[in-house]
Amino acid sequence: MARWEFKLPDIGEGVTEGEIVAWHIKPGDVVKEDAPMVEVMTDKATVMITSPRAGKIVETRGEIGTIVVVHGVLVVYEVDGEATAAAPAHTANGHANGNGAPSKSEPAATAVGDIKETLPGMSVSGASAGGSSGASAQVQYFNDKPLATPATRKLARDMNVDLRSVPPTGAQGRVTKTDVEAFAKSPTVAPAAPAAAVAAAPPVAAPGHAPVKISAPTAAQSALEERVPFAGMRRKIAQKMSQSKNTAAHFTFVEECDVGKLKELRARLKPRAEAQGVKLSFLPFIVKAVVAGLKKHPILNTALDETTNELVYRKYYNIGMAASTDAGLMVPVIKDADRKSVLDIARDIERLAADAKSGKAKVEDLQGSTFTITSLGADGGLFATPIINFPEVGILGIHQIKQKPVVRDGQIVVGEVMLLSLSFDHRIVDGHVGAAFAYDVIRWLEDPEKLFLEMV
Amino acid sequence: MTVVAQMNLVQAINDALKLEMKRDPRVVVLGEDVGRVGGVFRVTQGLWDEFGDERVVDTPLSEGGILGTAIGMALYGLRPVPEIQFADFIYPGYDQIVSELAKMRWRSGGEYSAKMVVRTPVGGGIRGGLYHSQSPESLFIHVAGLKVVCPASPYDAKGLLLAALRDPDPVLFFEPKRIYRAARGDVPEGDYTVELGKARIVREADRTSGEPAVTILAWGAMLYEAVAAAEKAAEQGIESEIVDLRTLWPVDIDTIAASVEKTGRVIVVHEAPKTCGFGAELIALINERCFLSLEAPPVRVAGFDTPFPYTLEMDYLPLAHRILPAIVQTAKY
Repeated sequence: MARWEFKLPDIGEGVTEGEIVAWHIKPGDVVKEDAPMVEVMTDKATVMITSPRAGKIVETRGEIGTIVVVHGVLVVYEVDGEATAAAPAHTANGHANGNGAPSKSEPAATAVGDIKETLPGMSVSGASAGGSSGASAQVQYFNDKPLATPATRKLARDMNVDLRSVPPTGAQGRVTKTDVEAFAKSPTVAPAAPAAAVAAAPPVAAPGHAPVKISAPTAAQSALEERVPFAGMRRKIAQKMSQSKNTAAHFTFVEECDVGKLKELRARLKPRAEAQGVKLSFLPFIVKAVVAGLKKHPILNTALDETTNELVYRKYYNIGMAASTDAGLMVPVIKDADRKSVLDIARDIERLAADAKSGKAKVEDLQGSTFTITSLGADGGLFATPIINFPEVGILGIHQIKQKPVVRDGQIVVGEVMLLSLSFDHRIVDGHVGAAFAYDVIRWLEDPEKLFLEMV
Repeated sequence: MTVVAQMNLVQAINDALKLEMKRDPRVVVLGEDVGRVGGVFRVTQGLWDEFGDERVVDTPLSEGGILGTAIGMALYGLRPVPEIQFADFIYPGYDQIVSELAKMRWRSGGEYSAKMVVRTPVGGGIRGGLYHSQSPESLFIHVAGLKVVCPASPYDAKGLLLAALRDPDPVLFFEPKRIYRAARGDVPEGDYTVELGKARIVREADRTSGEPAVTILAWGAMLYEAVAAAEKAAEQGIESEIVDLRTLWPVDIDTIAASVEKTGRVIVVHEAPKTCGFGAELIALINERCFLSLEAPPVRVAGFDTPFPYTLEMDYLPLAHRILPAIVQTAKY
């Protein structure tokens, strides 16, 4: 029997760590290949990891809520097959142990010198038997042997940094030079506690100020505080939001939209959609209006490649759809919205929303958006200032349709008024361009028939 | 004032041979078709006309015989320059090289020496097939007592050959035949030498940007492939420092180490099969000397562990299109 370690695989997409959400196995279990093993939530999705091989589980590493880095050991197996690394005691020829002194060494006479029967170092017997000393005493991830290139190791040694306590951010869980430097600079360098690296993620600090430390006013009051790891989705959302706010020059444009006609149209089409098993909301129409607007104002469908200083015009229209879930904000993506019918988009929305809510969203559904719509819904307030889903350059916030007095032909009438809150990256989008986009979207929503002229 | 002429590799080597034969009456050229024909690659053209039968000898097809005879001539006091028509044919003479040539000074306590320069074309890329394309340098580097040289430019070819002819040790002089006529450059007329055991930085990496840079070690025909790949990599913002080893043994480890310490990343390019190729030794030396400077695992871009293929020779050779991804991966490691 041999021990075999299963490590959190690199699932790609820049995912470097995951949070253990649920265990489906426990030590002592005998698992088959492909048996459900552990659920891990990354910042992209929750993934069920199945057992890559059959074997007996010796050890599971990490509690629910623990963050494991990619290539960190998750499960230790006992499997059939190759022997343990420990060499069996070798006592061939009855040589004495260890001291290398041969018991007999009679030179054999040959023509070209003396051929000794044994030579120093040839009695391999020093290794103690039974080297597979069972499970290691304490749960360790990268702690005992952190991965780093020699140059990084030298740097850490020179800076007196213990690599075992540096949270790794590099490929395959490597500690990089930047990690070492950041760690050395961070004001709360604690003495390396084993297992500290497991959950210690880089602090979410805005650039330009040191991480803020929160401590209770008095020691007695600390009992009135509860500390919860700021991790997983929440931490990722925080990073994304800070990045967007600190990078894009946000400006927000708010306007009303009278969607009476759209409401009628939807009411008329709803039964037909239902007949095909599709729940038809307003959102597919809004997606279509937005796509038409993006085609007319392509600058809104760009992203800035900061590495090359190039503005990337996307000739595809993947519309992100911000959705709140118990775990936090997610943005599932309606792919190729320009090439899909209203019904197809409605189907996509239904599926994506359900997956997001149940935590089963797939990685590929959560990436690749080129513009985002956020439904602010019933609790959307008067207006909002949405934060751009960086590196996109615009986001459309849509508010609840409310009946409001509007003036039409000199008469006060009841209008079906929806507010649109659009945020743009002013680095890339000028005010009048953003406004023109907004008014085009509004015109299509106010007169949805006109959308047919834009449809593919 | 030295007059400079444009020459290719063949002309530069021919020029060096002529010059040294005039200067040193002990120098004798021998080999298959080196006389009347002037060598299959025309490297010895004109020598027979100028120096005659006694100093330019057409030999039978017997590499063991050529090298054994040359060793005898050297012991007698001559300076033979045997040509092995293709390095691929050298194996019948390998015993002479390993057992006699490399060991003569050692074995006689310095009393005798078999000073000679064995010239032979190496490398693929000329549609020569498996018997006309090999790069057996590591077989000779591994044999203590030999010096091994492989020039990439006409200037170096002439200067290195003249230095080799005057060096006290036997020298294997490998001529990259793929670039025999393609490598052209300025070659001074008259006498000059390029010191054995000194590499040359062909392209320097600019480290001011702080972006990752890669050291590439190459020689012979593959030097130009490394340069081509480095130019492509530069378009992606990756700097490369290219070291032309020129003398493979004794290798200029100081120049190599200085470069690797500067970049932290290294790629070795050679035509010979990867396993136990010279790249393995270079990387071992780098690990010994520069371990703490390494930012990425050293990489070998080499020939495959197969006999040299005829139909797939452009896939076998470590050309620029295979070097470029290695540069990018090493830089981004």
